[in-house]
Amino acid sequence: MRLLVSLFVLTACAAQAQLLKIPPALDKLADKAEEVTDVTLDPATLGLASKFLSDNDADEKTAKKVVSGLKGIFIRSYRFTNEGEYSDADVEPLRAQLRNPGWNCIVNVRSKKNKENTQVCFYSENGKSAGMAIVSAEPKELTIVSIAGPIDPEHLGALEGQFGIPKVSPDAKQTKQDKKDD
Amino acid sequence: MNRFEDELRNALQRERPPEGFAARVLARAAAEPKPAGAWDRLKDWFRMPVVARAALAGALCLLVVAGVQYQQRQRLERIRGEAAKQQLLLALRVTGSNLRAVHDKVRELSASYSDAQ
Repeated sequence: MRLLVSLFVLTACAAQAQLLKIPPALDKLADKAEEVTDVTLDPATLGLASKFLSDNDADEKTAKKVVSGLKGIFIRSYRFTNEGEYSDADVEPLRAQLRNPGWNCIVNVRSKKNKENTQVCFYSENGKSAGMAIVSAEPKELTIVSIAGPIDPEHLGALEGQFGIPKVSPDAKQTKQDKKDD
Repeated sequence: MNRFEDELRNALQRERPPEGFAARVLARAAAEPKPAGAWDRLKDWFRMPVVARAALAGALCLLVVAGVQYQQRQRLERIRGEAAKQQLLLALRVTGSNLRAVHDKVRELSASYSDAQ
């Protein structure tokens, strides 16, 4: 009986660490993809990783801040050789989950011309941030990011300028306008 | 007072020891056990009962094995921790770059929208 209860609790914890359920159709995409990035970090692994993050490295220091309090990180990224290796129907069950109560998609960018569809959604429980998801569908690349746990938008902003990602310059827009005028 | 002085003088007078006194003292000193040296202690160890020796040897072996196992566990944890850290950094890179891409797209759209107006 105790074993059953423990298994149930462990399963519940693992489930809570992963906000989005990956549809079976997406699992099959791994066979077609040229490159697959598959990262699953449950609470125990996140805790273990945090122990080894150093305050002396800028990237790792930022990572420590972002990760504190998180319950899980799940990433699947598929890169294909050709267009059309996956369809909207493959991704739709995932997008349907983002329409469930608690989810609020603050960014929904769709381009028919470029055949791109990107959503950035936040999940909240009892008025508190409890997760985030990014679903980015491009002709040759599909990326799903699911983060369970309280997300601080300030910490997300800190991801820019770290991990090899250039910081967005406030002068970029100005520069573009100047070029247009020329 | 004289009587007292005489008695005191007699009591403090030197007396010859009885015959054989020196020999008896030397024999007794020779008979007393000497403190054990290292070699004697080693010989004593082999005189210990077999069970006691086996128990002590067993305890020493257990200590060594426990020490080796602890070191191995620490090493494994370090390897797992470093691997988990690299996975975490990769996850954050992917997240950051996707957010950046979304940010760029939104800026592009808002720029083209304001241009159109």
